[in-house]
Amino acid sequence: MSARLLSMAEALRDAMRLAMRQNAAVFLLGQDIGISGGFGGGFTVTLGLSDEFGHDRVMDTPISETAIVGAAVGAAMVGMRPIAEMQYGDFVFCAMDQVINQAAKMRYMSNGRVSVPMVLRLPVGASGRGAQHGQCTEALFMHTPGLKVVCPSTPYDAKGLLLAAIRDDDPVIFLEHKRLYGAKGGRKEKTSLEITDPVPEEEYEIPLGSVAVRRPGSDVTILANMLMVHRALAAAAALEREGISAEVIDLRSLVPLDLDTLARSAHKTSRVLIAEEDNLTGGWGAEVAARLTHEVFYSLDRPIARVAAPDTPLPCAAVLEEEYVPSVQRIVQTARELMN
Amino acid sequence: MIYPVVVPSLGATGGDIVLVEWLAELGKWIQKGTPLFVVQTDKADMEVEAFRDGYLREIVVAAGATVSASDIVAHLADSADEPLHTAGAGASNAALVSPVRQYSSATYRSLDSMDGLFDAYRQMVLIRRFEDHLYELFLQGLVPGTLHQYQGQEAVAVGVCAALNPEDAVFSTHRPVGHFIAKGCPLRSIAAELWGKATGCAGGKGGQMHLTDMQIGAFPSNAIVGANIPIATGAALAFRLSKTDRVAVSFFGDGAANIGAFHEGINLAAVKNAPVIFVCENNQYAASTHISLTTRVCQIAERAKAYGIPGYTVDGMDVLAVSRSARQAVSRARAGDGPTLLEFLTYRYAGHSRGDPGGYRTKEELLLWRQQDPVARCREVLTRQYNVGEQELQLVDKESQDMVEEAVAFARSSPDPSPDEVRTAVFASGAGK
Repeated sequence: MSARLLSMAEALRDAMRLAMRQNAAVFLLGQDIGISGGFGGGFTVTLGLSDEFGHDRVMDTPISETAIVGAAVGAAMVGMRPIAEMQYGDFVFCAMDQVINQAAKMRYMSNGRVSVPMVLRLPVGASGRGAQHGQCTEALFMHTPGLKVVCPSTPYDAKGLLLAAIRDDDPVIFLEHKRLYGAKGGRKEKTSLEITDPVPEEEYEIPLGSVAVRRPGSDVTILANMLMVHRALAAAAALEREGISAEVIDLRSLVPLDLDTLARSAHKTSRVLIAEEDNLTGGWGAEVAARLTHEVFYSLDRPIARVAAPDTPLPCAAVLEEEYVPSVQRIVQTARELMN
Repeated sequence: MIYPVVVPSLGATGGDIVLVEWLAELGKWIQKGTPLFVVQTDKADMEVEAFRDGYLREIVVAAGATVSASDIVAHLADSADEPLHTAGAGASNAALVSPVRQYSSATYRSLDSMDGLFDAYRQMVLIRRFEDHLYELFLQGLVPGTLHQYQGQEAVAVGVCAALNPEDAVFSTHRPVGHFIAKGCPLRSIAAELWGKATGCAGGKGGQMHLTDMQIGAFPSNAIVGANIPIATGAALAFRLSKTDRVAVSFFGDGAANIGAFHEGINLAAVKNAPVIFVCENNQYAASTHISLTTRVCQIAERAKAYGIPGYTVDGMDVLAVSRSARQAVSRARAGDGPTLLEFLTYRYAGHSRGDPGGYRTKEELLLWRQQDPVARCREVLTRQYNVGEQELQLVDKESQDMVEEAVAFARSSPDPSPDEVRTAVFASGAGK
């Protein structure tokens, strides 16, 4: 297998390109995704794809989130595999009927006679744009039966998860953190991490429903997703210097959720810390904490700790945003408290 | 109301049809049967008569022009000053023509023959009998769940579905029974779904508002007003992307014209030339609220102008008019010329849903619409034009009643779904997170 160093934006593009070459049923729709001379979506992920696949399969739409998601639902129901993009994840709230009442419920309402094999890509996460361009929305979708929820933290995973999501027969909410898109191949987010992975040119899938142990450890389990995985890893490195061994697990798939792996880790470490950029109340961490508590209650030394965004909208000023998004330091501090 | 006048199909052998001369005068009141214009074919000259009374409000095609069958050449109107509704480009794609003209049939069921019309009549009677019977049972407390009934609107479902092929897709509403019968869903599977039984078309998970029959291209009916407009658009885009000539139909009511999905879905379909037909069943009431209280533009077809597509207001109590206009819209869609907004003026005899006696409407209004009853009007055409006898018509009534009673008996005697079914069909793999 030959591999290149790719950013997450490039890895996602690579996945879509491969899927579109293989399967005529795969097409893209969204705002500004294929305009010639344009920028390939808000974050360059679809840059150049309309050159190869044309403007019918890389379909630029009006600013009509309901129509984008609704059309994806309709196309999926008749056998296509659409990948719809919201320019910013927050905009999906304009289309929530189509996500919650339509995409998620069609299979059930029809008693399994209809499938909605679509992917809805949502760029999420704080990135200096304020309250309506940076919310982490995964918990809202995790709550909804019928939706799968995926949120990669690395370029390698992004490609494998997106290929799996495209081939999945259920609607998949695919969250992409803006600070993880990376610098290569287009515009760089100012606060972006410089993450690249060797990404094989060939196709590969990362199964939906899998989590990844990013760093083994024995004293405390840190559960994180997207940007928080990287902060958790930085925190684990800092904790190691203090003699605390942290295991970091990447919840790259929230639905389905591999609770068994999480429970095994919790049994081993007896301490669990959840780091998420979502708001604290009703965030994905709340659900995971509840389920884990049920599984491993008697193995736990301490109540499960959560490091999350406060229950406020996302502020814009850098100093406020820094306070809002859980920091490495907060994760380290909370881990220390679990050890005492 | 405005009524397009179209060139009838004259059985020409392919040569040009020329509109030779206008016989009626622009702006004048024309009585039904009055010669309107003369067309010349390779066979003969022929006078085309007005199919109904009305003011000759507009002459679209001047004398001397070459025309094709189904081209709109003029508009008749009930009044001398109401605005002409025809919107946008593609004005040749509506039809509301004299029922005496013969059309050739294709894979769809043409209603311009006795057999075709008789089939349509049977379906309308079946819908009427089924809905009436459900109401009778509801009054006895024997119907579980809710009911949104279709009596009065039968011509729309039947006329539109007659213009479709089996593989074409329909996206229905919270009032789906008529659409599903018209598209061909077995009555038993509808009835059993209403009773929440394992034998229902959705195994009891759907209920009255969520019928599904993928065998006949009837996608899950949608109880979110207007939501199926962008969904049907997406299905249509998919048909085009996969290079089929299938079309999608979105049924919705006048109330849906005021929800955002209407705007977004129709605009997207228009700009992408999606092969979709937007069928607005304007029964004047969004639940209990009259259309005049919800929009300044009560003629929904006028909205088509805003999207640059054709929009037509058609008598929705006339199954022939419905089927012809639908056929034109379907042809336009199949030809790759994009969507059409068809507004059918109609009326729902029942309340909005179970237990709504309709106290917001007058008896006079209801009577006025009942005088236009689509089933009775179809029956009249069969009698007058095709000499169908009373006995044959009574047989239809009896057969329908038998079918309805059989289907309801089947439903009521069917087994309930297993309680375990609550957890199935959430995901492709079954249940659970």
